Amino acid sequence: MISPFLRSTALGLALAGPALAADPSLDLVGPLSDYKIFVAENTAQLVSDAEAFTAAIKAGDLDKAKALFAPTRTSYERVEPIAELFSDLDVSIDARADDYEKAEQDPGFTGFHRIEYGLWSEGSTQGLEGHADRLLADIRELDSRITALTFPPEVVVGGAAVLMEEVAATKISGEEDRYSRTDLWDFDANFEGAEKIYTLFRPLIADGEADFVAKVDGNFQAVREVLAKYETPEGGFVSYEELTDSDRNILSAKVNTLAEDLATLRGKLGLG
Amino acid sequence: MRHLAPNRRAVLLALGASGLALAARAQGPVPQVSDAPAAEPRDTARRVPFHGPHQAGITTPRPENGLVASFDVVATSLDDLERMLRLLTDRARFLTEGGPVPDLDPALPPADSGLLGPVIQPDNLTITVALGASLFENRPWLAGLKPARLQRMAQFPNDALDPDLCHGDLSIQFCANHPDSTIHALRDIVKTLSEFLVLRWMVEGDVPPVLADARGATPSARNFLGFRDGSANPDSNDAALMDRIVWTTGPHEPGWAQGGSYQAVRIIRNMVERWDRTPLVEQERIFGRTKMSGAPLDNPDATEHHVPDYAADPEGRAIPHDAHIRLANPRDAESQRHLMLRRPFNYSRGVLPNGQLDQGLLFICYQADLEAGFIAVQNRLNGEPLEEYVKPVGGGYFFALPGVRDKADYLGRALVDAARRT
Repeated sequence: MISPFLRSTALGLALAGPALAADPSLDLVGPLSDYKIFVAENTAQLVSDAEAFTAAIKAGDLDKAKALFAPTRTSYERVEPIAELFSDLDVSIDARADDYEKAEQDPGFTGFHRIEYGLWSEGSTQGLEGHADRLLADIRELDSRITALTFPPEVVVGGAAVLMEEVAATKISGEEDRYSRTDLWDFDANFEGAEKIYTLFRPLIADGEADFVAKVDGNFQAVREVLAKYETPEGGFVSYEELTDSDRNILSAKVNTLAEDLATLRGKLGLG
Repeated sequence: MRHLAPNRRAVLLALGASGLALAARAQGPVPQVSDAPAAEPRDTARRVPFHGPHQAGITTPRPENGLVASFDVVATSLDDLERMLRLLTDRARFLTEGGPVPDLDPALPPADSGLLGPVIQPDNLTITVALGASLFENRPWLAGLKPARLQRMAQFPNDALDPDLCHGDLSIQFCANHPDSTIHALRDIVKTLSEFLVLRWMVEGDVPPVLADARGATPSARNFLGFRDGSANPDSNDAALMDRIVWTTGPHEPGWAQGGSYQAVRIIRNMVERWDRTPLVEQERIFGRTKMSGAPLDNPDATEHHVPDYAADPEGRAIPHDAHIRLANPRDAESQRHLMLRRPFNYSRGVLPNGQLDQGLLFICYQADLEAGFIAVQNRLNGEPLEEYVKPVGGGYFFALPGVRDKADYLGRALVDAARRT
């Protein structure tokens, strides 16, 4: 059953239209609306997961907070292709210590990774209450913006490639979740988020670009097969440290090739 | 108003009426800081043939710029490996032969980085592909096909190996007249082979051009310790000598490997600050050569090519027994077995955490037998006084594939064919 929230989002898309950039080709409207629903589903999930996660922090339940950290992030990592549409919130929700001069000790360092640092490196929920409140407020703000947010097609389509570039540049090396080593959860969500965009727009090019489609499909499939080896029975992932060099090489080659190929998607769809 | 460059204004002011002709000549464009460096008739059109029984870049005269990149290979089947080798061959053939870059729809990323403009000039570029021992590990479909002497580089006593600068499944040596050509070629390979190749490490270097001396001979270039390097290198134009020293042949090697060559790469840091504080006489005794001319110390007025007479110096008075050249090549009958062809470049990579310059030698050598060549010679050098001033930090052993014979052939074809037969 579709939630009341989603129904209203879909309705808003159908009626109001400000979601779409000026004059997109009609072909793009369907995939863009579908993508907006995907984003809204994920930010709604993110709010409810973040409520539980931040409640655990404020209750001083270290184990529960640590257990909820990675699964809470996945809904955020899935919508990361369009993070540039809410870049102010992206900074306060998902920045890393190296974005700040004083690193972990910098008062500007907030969000998921500041909390991750407290939970794993300092081993305590103490002092994280303010960060938890801020994170939840930022996430609620993000969710509330989605309905009115314009989704320019070139940003959505380009976002899939941009996210692959980011994975290649600063994630494959295990920099993202450096305190908790939950990077594989993020990889999985990032690939899923990029593949979602690709899959929605694929029908528009499938006829003329059979080789391209086969290659990209194959590379997403190869990534899924590698990550599947590291899944736990509970539906999560083992520590990044268990990733073998050879599997990291496969992921690295695939993500670079996906970045290379998805970088042509805007052009293939005639988007500037 | 256009501003006259100060030097030009001075020239014009200094000229009297009689200088009018000169002044007229000075009307030509005055060089600006932002101009590209004035191109001499560039050597960019020079081409090294790509096809042949051996790969280019081994006995090919060394141009000014060299770069070695090492990759891990993502190939889970023999078909993958073949696709990779065919694609690599296509790119290497195009890049070394040169030609126009294809025009694509401007809405797409361009086909080429554009570093060399719309037409790729060959620029004496060579691309030399070699395989590491790790490529043959964990790939049962290559079982039994590893070249007999190929092995993972083991640490020597003076080494301080940085794992991020060592080993690899596949190395590519790029050499060209200009560094933009080697970088362009590397960027092309990284882009077009992203599916198969994951970069592990890369070091680039150069050798200074050297003017011919009064007799028309070109002295050896200097390394970053200020000494001439390569004086005793065997004659790479002597095909019979190269067959003996450089090219792998014989029944002890797999059939597919005939005509290849073992490549040893060493990233050797030089402690240049300390070296520059060392007395000249000590520097010369460490090498066994005079610093300026390169002549062996037993005949310091000779040329660098003079062959030292160790039999006449049994006590090591002129050239100490532990001098670099005496250990590396004692010039006896036995040392003929240990010859190799060296092809080094100097590198400079910024500053180390201790505030010292990160400079050294990108040592590359080729030999028919890795153990009789580099490994035996390095074992002789262990403990030499030069070790106080040098520190190998990376590199690896590889096997340079036999050459690509023609348009229908590709790098490593004999290996792939052999693997299909087994």
